[in-house]
Amino acid sequence: MTLFTIDNVRKTFTNGEVKEEILKGINLSLREGEITALVGASGSGKSTLLTIAAGLQPTSDGQVIFEGKNMTTMSSEQVRQVRASKFGFVFQFAHLVPFLTVEEQLMLMLDVAESKLSKGEQTKEVNRILKLVGMDHRKNAYPSSLSGGEKQRVAIARAIIHKPKVLFADEPTASLDSKRSKEVMLLIRDLTKKLNITTLMVTHDEEMLSYADHIVKMSDGLILGNV
Amino acid sequence: MNLAWKEIKKNKVRFLILGSIVFLVSLLTFIISGLANGLSQDNAALIKDLPEGQFYMNEDADEKYNLSKIDSDIQEDILNKEKDAVAFSIQMGFLNDEDDKQQSVAFVTSTDSKLFENVKPGEVILDSSLKEAGIKVGDTLTNNQFSGEFVVKGFVDQKKYSHAPVAFINMVNYQEIYRVMEMQMVFIPGADSSHEIAGLQSFSNKEFLGTISSYSAEQMSLNMIIWFLVVISGMLFAIFFYMMNVQKIGLYGILKAIGVKTSKLFKMIWTQMLIITVISLILSVTLSQVFNMIAPEGMPFSLTFETTMQLSIVFLVIGFIGATLSGLQIKKIEPLQAIQQGEA
Repeated sequence: MTLFTIDNVRKTFTNGEVKEEILKGINLSLREGEITALVGASGSGKSTLLTIAAGLQPTSDGQVIFEGKNMTTMSSEQVRQVRASKFGFVFQFAHLVPFLTVEEQLMLMLDVAESKLSKGEQTKEVNRILKLVGMDHRKNAYPSSLSGGEKQRVAIARAIIHKPKVLFADEPTASLDSKRSKEVMLLIRDLTKKLNITTLMVTHDEEMLSYADHIVKMSDGLILGNV
Repeated sequence: MNLAWKEIKKNKVRFLILGSIVFLVSLLTFIISGLANGLSQDNAALIKDLPEGQFYMNEDADEKYNLSKIDSDIQEDILNKEKDAVAFSIQMGFLNDEDDKQQSVAFVTSTDSKLFENVKPGEVILDSSLKEAGIKVGDTLTNNQFSGEFVVKGFVDQKKYSHAPVAFINMVNYQEIYRVMEMQMVFIPGADSSHEIAGLQSFSNKEFLGTISSYSAEQMSLNMIIWFLVVISGMLFAIFFYMMNVQKIGLYGILKAIGVKTSKLFKMIWTQMLIITVISLILSVTLSQVFNMIAPEGMPFSLTFETTMQLSIVFLVIGFIGATLSGLQIKKIEPLQAIQQGEA
């Protein structure tokens, strides 16, 4: 079932009098529970496409349909609500809140997503997710005492704690060595399959493509092929 | 989730430094305010203790009370018409005590009134600060321009003028010492500026205090220091939170990306400002009030609880403005910026 549709999306940046078209009419559908990887050279427009799909920047033309609603016509507050409750994010760097413990990072996300769970249920859920990502033994640790791989595991836990419909991952393994990268990708794949989360991921690492259900190749603002 | 308090707990030293600075600046402001108020009392308690009303002096006195001479007919006319009106004069001078030691005083004389101490010829009532100079009730004091002697009839608290203790004497003795028959001023309690008298210039209490040159110069400099300190504290907040925000642009961007409301980030800054300021103010208010109680006798220091509360509110408002100004950059942060940046 199609959850997310990107329909003829264009993005143009204006720098002084120079206009540069980064996306030249992109059409893409994401099916529920599947991992789609966007690949392409630097400047191909893959990160721009991901951030537009995630509601982090507007389109110049075209529409982004999520759960039957056109996100391009929503107010910024409506988009924020969608991001908070329906989307999860994993970036190249974990970007954890430095003054919150691992457990508190996840509690914050539940707070932001306006979770209906009681305090006790929230704590149980946090413990369950931390167990899933193998970080339950470090729930009281602050980010400064975690390794790069551990931080990224916590970032993944934060991205899925509120049961999002879509996970956006922008180069989630770029800051990790190959061993940690594989661990993180396996984790993303296992969790998204287990929780039926649709994933759109940008990567330049060809090794990571084996974890994706679909690979979308981009070049010069266009989709070259969909595997 | 209380992000503000969690950040303070994790970064104790950083917030302790800001808190210490706010504490020191506010304490300094309270102390200077106490000194300003103390000096103001020391300089013009005699006038400040009078009820609100209008002061009148000669139009050609050029707003200098010691050059003013109220015509006796006009004075008579006013005193007959206005039941509570009083004519009075103030002149700086000296009294010699029983050991022939000179004491600087402000001689004050007035027509019959409840607003000023009234004494018989040859009597004097002094400000209680002269007790410290060893003067007692019953002592006889002299003045070089006065043929007789003054017998001390009593003391009154907090009656000072131009940093000198006031000596209330009878009009007859005053006229002999200063060889002048007219009074300098008339005061009508309860009157307002609409109450005009031909040939006389009127002043409200505040305006009259402004004509005392030493008073206005002294108060102006001290008030300037107080407001300068208040502005500095506001700038401290703005700069501190600005520096913190610059370091956290990446973090704020990510928080916005995951859906944290900008208002929640503002609330976090305001809460931190409030926690730091309130704790710092509690400490500085307490310490300044303790100082108020133990300040040396001769030190002109007077700090009321109301004044510290008023200044504390100003500090909170200034802190709020400073923190909000620095927070404006949060509003401008785009989540994309943060994503494209490295680790915060």
